[in-house]
Amino acid sequence: MNAQSAGTQLTRPSELRFLDPAILARLATIELKARAVVEGLLSGLHRSPFKGFSVEFAEYRQYLPGDDLSRIDWKVYARSDRYYVKKFEEETNVDCHLLLDVSASMGYGSGGVTKLEYGSVLAASLAYLMNRQRDAVGLTTFDDAIVTMVPPSARPSHLRSILVTLDRIGLGRRTDVSKPLHVLADGIGKRGLIVFISDLLDEPERIVNGLRHFRFRGSEVIVFHLLDPAELTFPFEHAARFRDMELGDEVMAVPSVVRREYLDALHTALDRYKRELGAEGIDYRLLDTSTPLEYALMSYLSTRGRAR
Amino acid sequence: MFGLSFLSPLFLVGAAAAAIPIAIHLFYRRAEPIVDFAAMRYLRRAPVEQSRRRRLRELVLLALRVSALVLLACAFARPYLSESVAALNGDATMVLIDTSASLSAPGRFDAARELAERAIREAPPTHAVGVMAFAHASDEIAPLSQDRAGALAAVAQLKAGAGATRYRAALRRAGDAFNGRAGRLVVITDLQQSGWDPASEGGIPDTIAVEVEDIGGPSANLAMTSLRAEGAEAVAVVHNFSPRPATEQVVFAVDDRRIGAVPLTLAPGGSAEARVPVDGYRSGALSASITDREGYLADNVRYAVLDAASAISVLAVTATGHPSEALYLERALGIAEGTGGFRFRALSGAAFSQPDAAFLGDVDVLAIVSTRGVEQRGRDRLAQFVRSGGGLLLTAGPDVEPELLRQALDGIVVTSWAARSGQALPQASGQASGQASGQASGHTLSFAPDDSRHPVFRLLGGAGTLGSVSFARAALIDAPASANVIARYSDGSPALVDERTTGGRVLVFGSDLNYRWNDFPLQPAFVPFIHETLRYLATPRTARSEYLVGDLQAVAAAMPGIVDLQGRRVAVNTDPRESDPARMLAETFQAGISRLNASAAQQARSEARQQEDSQGLWWYGLLLMVVSLAAEGVLGRRLG
Repeated sequence: MNAQSAGTQLTRPSELRFLDPAILARLATIELKARAVVEGLLSGLHRSPFKGFSVEFAEYRQYLPGDDLSRIDWKVYARSDRYYVKKFEEETNVDCHLLLDVSASMGYGSGGVTKLEYGSVLAASLAYLMNRQRDAVGLTTFDDAIVTMVPPSARPSHLRSILVTLDRIGLGRRTDVSKPLHVLADGIGKRGLIVFISDLLDEPERIVNGLRHFRFRGSEVIVFHLLDPAELTFPFEHAARFRDMELGDEVMAVPSVVRREYLDALHTALDRYKRELGAEGIDYRLLDTSTPLEYALMSYLSTRGRAR
Repeated sequence: MFGLSFLSPLFLVGAAAAAIPIAIHLFYRRAEPIVDFAAMRYLRRAPVEQSRRRRLRELVLLALRVSALVLLACAFARPYLSESVAALNGDATMVLIDTSASLSAPGRFDAARELAERAIREAPPTHAVGVMAFAHASDEIAPLSQDRAGALAAVAQLKAGAGATRYRAALRRAGDAFNGRAGRLVVITDLQQSGWDPASEGGIPDTIAVEVEDIGGPSANLAMTSLRAEGAEAVAVVHNFSPRPATEQVVFAVDDRRIGAVPLTLAPGGSAEARVPVDGYRSGALSASITDREGYLADNVRYAVLDAASAISVLAVTATGHPSEALYLERALGIAEGTGGFRFRALSGAAFSQPDAAFLGDVDVLAIVSTRGVEQRGRDRLAQFVRSGGGLLLTAGPDVEPELLRQALDGIVVTSWAARSGQALPQASGQASGQASGQASGHTLSFAPDDSRHPVFRLLGGAGTLGSVSFARAALIDAPASANVIARYSDGSPALVDERTTGGRVLVFGSDLNYRWNDFPLQPAFVPFIHETLRYLATPRTARSEYLVGDLQAVAAAMPGIVDLQGRRVAVNTDPRESDPARMLAETFQAGISRLNASAAQQARSEARQQEDSQGLWWYGLLLMVVSLAAEGVLGRRLG
C-alpha cells in the first residue's frame, strides 16, 4: 500500500467508513481503542476498491510461527513449496518517537472527546501500528517540560508500556514547547520519525524552531495539529467570560463582536504553521477532534514511507 | 465664596432612589457564563475586554445611573449658589456704634467709645471682630477680621456726627456684613425713639444674636428746629425737649457776623420763635444758634441761605376770587411773605377759565378751594399746569366738586373721593353747602401721619402735634396702590395722599382748609403744615435751599453748615426729629429686632428665589442628567 499524501487536511473517501472518535472514546481501554482504529484501518484498506493507497513491498522472509497467515505469499509457496511472508517497507528498523502535548490546553473539548483523549488514542493507535510493523516506538509527554518518557523499542511487550502510560496520563501545566523539544532533539541518537501531537497553542516561532531542530538531526517530522471544532469555528452565541485553561485569567467577549477577529487570528496562525513547517520539510496535518483517527493514521503511513 | 443652597430642599429626598441601581448592582447581577477555553491566544487578539476593565465599566455604568437620579432630584430641588462664607470662616462679633447727632451730648460719645472698646476686647477669642458706625447711613470702619488692634484704633478715631438715627437700615447693613456667619452684634446706642422707623425695610439673620449696650441720654435738650427767612425777618424756632421750662438766647449771624440776639423763654415741651430783621441782607449765610450745653450739641445751630430764595407763588382758586374764601390759607402764608416765603393770590373759577392764562406764568402752586365756575378751559388749564410741573393742592371742601376734578385730571391723578355715608358733598350744580364744622353726624375724626418722614410733616414732630385736629366732616378718599397715603384719619381711611405725576406733585387733602369741616386752621400745626405742604408742592419748580445732614453725598454736607451745590449755596441742617431725646426701652428695641429676624427670613427667601431665577442651575442639572442617561445607554449596550 502506498500512503498517499492527502495534503494538510485529510480527505475522506466515502468508501471508507471509520469510527467516530466520540464513539471510540467510549471503548474501555486505550488498547481497545487503538486496536479498533488500526485494525479498522487496515481491514478497510484491504476491502476498499480505493487503489491509491498501498504499502510498499520490500522483500520476503521465511514464515515464523505467529505471523499473520494473510501475509503468506502463496505464489512464492507454489513456486518454492516454502512458506514466505511479505516484508513491507515498514518492517525496516525506524525509531519512532511519539511526542504528545499534555499541557492544560489539551484538556479542552466541546464535544464528546477532549484534545488530550483524541491525542492519546492517536498516539496509542500509532504506537500499535508501529509496533505491529516492527518499528521501535517510544513515547514522550510534555507540557512546559518533559513529563514522561518511554524510550523507543520494537519489542511487542513494549507496546503495553506505552499503552499503559497513555492510559494514565493527566493534564499538565501550561504550554511551552521550546525546552522539551530542544532537549528531546539533543537526546535522540539516530534519525527517526518524530510524530508531534499538540494543539500548538504556543508561540509559532518557538514551535517551528523546536521542530527544526529535529530536522537538523535528520529525522522526519510529522505534526498533528489538534484543535477542537469549537476552537476552529468559535460557535459561541452569548456574551461570556472566557477563562484561559492554562493561565486562569478571564476575558469578557461578545462572540458576535469578536468572532471575525478570532478566526482571522486563528487562520493566520494556521497559515503560518503550514507555510513555515512546510518550508522545513515537516508534514503538517490539521485535525479537528471530530475527524476519525484513521485519517491520521493514513497520513502517518504515507510519511512513514519516506523515513526509510 | 459661594455655597450651594436649594430652594426646595425637600425634593432631595428623591435622591434616595439612587439606592435602587446600587442595590441591583450588589444583589442582582446578570451572571455571564464562564467558558473554559484553550485557544485564548487567538481570542485575545480580538476586541475582548479584560474582566478587570469590565468591572470598571460596570462601576462607571452604576455611577452614571446613580448620577442621573441624583441630578434629577437636585434639579427639582432648584439649586442656587448663594454668597456665603458660612461656617468655614467661624463666628464673628460686629460692634455697631451710634454716631448720630444725639450722641453729641456731653460725655455721651465717650461712653459709647468705651463700651465699643470693651465689646471688642471681650469678644470671644475665636471670633472675627469688626466695627460699623451708623447714623442716617452706616459705614464699615473696621471689616471683620482677627485684627482687634485695628478695630480699637478705628473706634478711637470715631466721633459723634450730626446725622439722624436710622436703626433699621444700620441693622440690615450690619447683618449683611456677617456674610452668612453666625455671631454677635453689639449695638451701642442711646435707644433714641425717633430712630426706630417702622416704615423702612431691613432684617438680620436669626444666626446673629443682638446685644444692646445702652449709653443713656440727656433728660433734656434744647434744639434749633427751624430757621428761615420770611420777608424782612429771619425766624428761628427753638423747641424745649424737657419737662422743665428753659430760657435761651438765640444769636443770629450773617456770614459769621453777629446781627442780633433774642432771648427766649420756653415752656416745658414747647417751642418759641425768635425773629430778627434781615432786610438789609439780600444774600448771605444766615445762622442762628443757642448755647444748650447739656443737651445735644449738634442741634444748637441752624443755617439758612438768604440768596436766591424767591417766594413761592401760590394761587388759590375760590368761588368768587375773594381772598376771604381762603382766609386761613392766606393768613398762614402771610406769615412768611417775601423772600424765602410765599406770595398768595386768589382767583375765581370763572377767571381761572378765561382765555388769557398769563396769570399762571409765575405760579408755583395751585390750591383748589372751590370748583365753582371752572369751565372746560379751566379744567384743561388745570391739567396742563400739573403736566408742566406745577404743584397742585386739592382740598375736599364744601365748594369742591370731586367729579369735575376727576374729569379734569383724568390720566394724571388717579386718587378720587366721595362722600362718606351719612354725609353729603355738593351736587354738580355747585350747591352751596353752607356747612360749618359741627353740622355733621357728630362723629369727629382726627388724623395722624402715616409716614412721619414725609417732608410735609418735617417740622411737626410726630403724630401728637396733629392729633388735636378735629374733623367734623371728611371725604372718603379712594387712593389706588400707586398713590402714597401719607396721613390717615383715626378710622384708618386716607386723609392726605401724595401723587407723584410725570409733571408736578399733587396732594389730595380729604377735608377743607377754611374752618368749615374741621378746626385745623385753629391748631398750631396748621401754619407749618401749610408752609411745608406748599413748599413740597413747589419743589420741582423752585430751587431747594435747605437739606438735612445725609441728604447730600458730599463730605462737606456731613455736618451742619453752608455748602456749595453745583455753584449754589445751600444750607445743611440736622434733622429736627433727631433733637427729641425721648428714648425707648432696650426690650422695645429687642422686640423690634425680632420682627427684623422674621422679615430677614422673608427677605432671605425672596432674595434666594431671585438668585435661583437668575442662575437657573436646575436647567444644567437636567441637562447633565440627560447626558448621563445617554452615556449609560451607550455604555450599557456595549457591555451586551
